[in-house]
Amino acid sequence: MRRKTEAKREAILEAAAEVFREVGFERASMSEIRSRIGGSKATLYNYFPSKEKLFFEVMYRATQPELGAIASALDPDADLEQQLLQFGQKFLPALYSPQAIAVRRLAIAESGSGIGKVVFEGTTLPMERQVAEFLRKAMKRGTLRTADPKIAAMHLLSLLESELLQRLLLGVMGTVKPEAMRGAVRRAVEVFLCGYEP
Amino acid sequence: MKRSDSKRRAILDAAYRLFRTRGFEKTSITEITAAVGGSKATIYSHFPSKEELFVECMMAAAENYIAGMVRHLKPWAADPAVALAEFGSSFLAFICSPEQLEVRRLMIAEAAHSGTGKFFFEKITELRAHVSAFLSSCMARGTLCRADPDLAADQLAALLEAEILQPLLLQAREESPRAEETRLAAKRAVAVFLRAYAPLRERIEPPLRARTAHRRPLPTPPPSTKLYRPV
Repeated sequence: MRRKTEAKREAILEAAAEVFREVGFERASMSEIRSRIGGSKATLYNYFPSKEKLFFEVMYRATQPELGAIASALDPDADLEQQLLQFGQKFLPALYSPQAIAVRRLAIAESGSGIGKVVFEGTTLPMERQVAEFLRKAMKRGTLRTADPKIAAMHLLSLLESELLQRLLLGVMGTVKPEAMRGAVRRAVEVFLCGYEP
Repeated sequence: MKRSDSKRRAILDAAYRLFRTRGFEKTSITEITAAVGGSKATIYSHFPSKEELFVECMMAAAENYIAGMVRHLKPWAADPAVALAEFGSSFLAFICSPEQLEVRRLMIAEAAHSGTGKFFFEKITELRAHVSAFLSSCMARGTLCRADPDLAADQLAALLEAEILQPLLLQAREESPRAEETRLAAKRAVAVFLRAYAPLRERIEPPLRARTAHRRPLPTPPPSTKLYRPV
């Protein structure tokens, strides 16, 4: 087996991202992706064993590094309200980038093929877990009332998405201005804190 | 009923039967035409696209259910907790039903290509208007604190959906939630919502807050309790 290189992997991911954007997940083919980068189909499969895996990697690159960093920046020792506001102000722009919206739309539209599950387990669950861990500490310190931290995390994330995500997914809105996101974050965090104050 | 109304009804009935048995993809306007009689043009004069016909079908089929759901929101209810818990669990059961999930997936899938996403969004907004009106009357009566009722309705929906909708929409989970699961998720969501939107008086005087039985016992507030006020 030839040694895999990072450059080749990058090239495949870039070509794949392009193809997925252009024709959608279902109609994208491994042959089309291969034809854009050259080389054999075997080489492509050597890097990515299936189209699902490839799609997931593309999606992961588009949204995950940012999302992962955002959740891990939550500092349980700092002021709770400030931390949640900062978290929301980084989380929403990452979630609402045109690429992230395209990916999420695709994951929902083609969920029957199993990619929705991959997306849910690869991005939603880790995010929920990290936020839940942060909230658990806040509950322990008494800055939030005692409740199931996992459910509290889902409530927080859902409140953050409440004003804009559906509009973006349904194409009612094209893009969101930063001020609109800031307002949405502030309102979501306020309601969350009121709902979970000790 | 006007003649065009009865035609519309007939189209919806036939289309609903076909969509239910064959699915959205495999059902064509030609087949629907064959089932109701008349021409394709007649169908298109009532519904601009197959997608919109599909949404109308699914929503029309759910009309009675939605009406029942909205009936829980009695503006004269003394305590919004009961009304919201009942509304919440039927709302959640509704949006998590296989038909409604399918509608939502299709609308999101088509959103990039046509105006169907907007059309569906209008349907959601109609439902939200009932919730807003209810919340608004609670605010006027002082059973909820004053705030933007549309925003409050969006937040209520977000809390209700938080635990269940996403894994179902992404098919990360296959089985539909059982009634008990949606009931409990709705109860938790409504509890958080009511704490957040409790009239201010109740938030200042903690003893008054222990009004609802479903609430957890309140811990002693820490010395620096901050008073958060929604908008």
